[in-house]
Amino acid sequence: MTQVAAEPQTMLRALIVHPDDNVANLIGPGQRGQRVQCVVEGQDQIETIDLVDDLPSNHKLARRDIETGEPIVKYGLIIGKASRPIRRGQHVHAHNIESNRGRGDLKS
Amino acid sequence: MRDGFYGYVRDDGQVGIRNYVLLLSGTLYANPTCERVAHTVQNTIPIVHPLGRCQIAPDLAQTFRTLVGHGINPNAGAVIVVDHFKEAGCEADAIAHEIAQTGKPVEVVNIRNAGGVVQATAQATNLAVALNRTITGQQRDKVTLDRLVYGINCGTSDVTSGLSHNRCVGWVADRIIEAGGRVVGAETTEMMGGEELIREKAKTPAVADKLLGYIAKMEREILACGVDLRGSQPTGDNMAGGLSTIEEKSLGAMMKWGTTPIVGAVDYAERIGREGGLWLMDTPGHGGESITGIAAAGAQIMSFATGGGHTINHPLMITMRLTGNRESWSRMEETTDVNVSDMFDGTTLDQAGERLLNEVLDICDGKMTKAEALREWNAFAITRCGPSV
Repeated sequence: MTQVAAEPQTMLRALIVHPDDNVANLIGPGQRGQRVQCVVEGQDQIETIDLVDDLPSNHKLARRDIETGEPIVKYGLIIGKASRPIRRGQHVHAHNIESNRGRGDLKS
Repeated sequence: MRDGFYGYVRDDGQVGIRNYVLLLSGTLYANPTCERVAHTVQNTIPIVHPLGRCQIAPDLAQTFRTLVGHGINPNAGAVIVVDHFKEAGCEADAIAHEIAQTGKPVEVVNIRNAGGVVQATAQATNLAVALNRTITGQQRDKVTLDRLVYGINCGTSDVTSGLSHNRCVGWVADRIIEAGGRVVGAETTEMMGGEELIREKAKTPAVADKLLGYIAKMEREILACGVDLRGSQPTGDNMAGGLSTIEEKSLGAMMKWGTTPIVGAVDYAERIGREGGLWLMDTPGHGGESITGIAAAGAQIMSFATGGGHTINHPLMITMRLTGNRESWSRMEETTDVNVSDMFDGTTLDQAGERLLNEVLDICDGKMTKAEALREWNAFAITRCGPSV
């Protein structure tokens, strides 16, 4: 009998490092319109988010809508702030978030 | 879990995992002599650099301290210091004098006194052959894990760094510290943004304050150059790998520290104390400079965790590379020792960590890293605090 190969996994996966995080890390690359299963580390619960942008390998996506100036949280800690509004499922990177540190124009 | 390794127990109580004759260049101008001897004589390691002359006093002291630290590192069974003249503050005889306190054989070759570089090469070659005859009869002894000083560093970081390989390094650091050993981390640039975590992890407020002082000083120095950090950190390869800000890079880098308290903080290339635990050193994020500082502190082996792939290798402190990024492994397997990218496919941290620890201990016992087999000696670089003068 011919062994039937398992269906290739079409659903993308992402990791949420800490429950408080508002971003998730995609595992591998992703394309706009694809559905992502996001797992919070150490928890069984899965969140499903549809990608709004194409994402390079392992980049971040927004777990929820984020306002301009709002902190970006990963590892449960602040890694920067939104420089423009970000929608759930959007690519989160240097084009829409910025650092709070090592800057001449900000008091650290 | 394995509880020790086989190493060369030195007179001063340190344990080497290699037994090299170290050819230590005192200045830029002695480099070719060291390199010639290293090409000729087996089991010799050259340490070469552009410094040792025309440096402001604090820089010269830092160069001296770094060179002495490498001579003292237990992976050197014997040392030949090569110099072309006498440089006040970084003199070959003074370097040799400090190293000799360990009880290991130390020789000095002065190019000018020898009658030129050809004569100096001949003299150092003869010495290196003789020193090999002296030290290579020594046997390895079984020692417990508390004799290990484990260096931790990372480079060409990407998003996978904080999620896979750095956490693995942290797991190994925890096991070594539980056994009474010491772990040395560095990279002040990658502590920026992690201040809250440093306050939580520091054993005492004094340790936290010292580290926060290092970070503030680095931030001030960057701003004093009239630039801000964006554009330099995260680096272009970090950004391509998905790291958006220095804070994100820092928090991912700090995963290497594991879960134990930070017991101490030291200046660049300073020797760490005897207390077991996690020690952190003030160094730049520059890989060559940070791992050189850690080698001077006395680490025998380092795990260098890389997201995008890296070619770094310290000449004396054995540098084993690992990645948790599947693509990097496929691109650079030839010089990467451990792959933990299966952590994204269900392999647990315990399983991947144990695999890394086994590799660390195998390498301590004498197994060659891939870079070691290729005789890659690309990462000796002393950091500087001022201009050349």
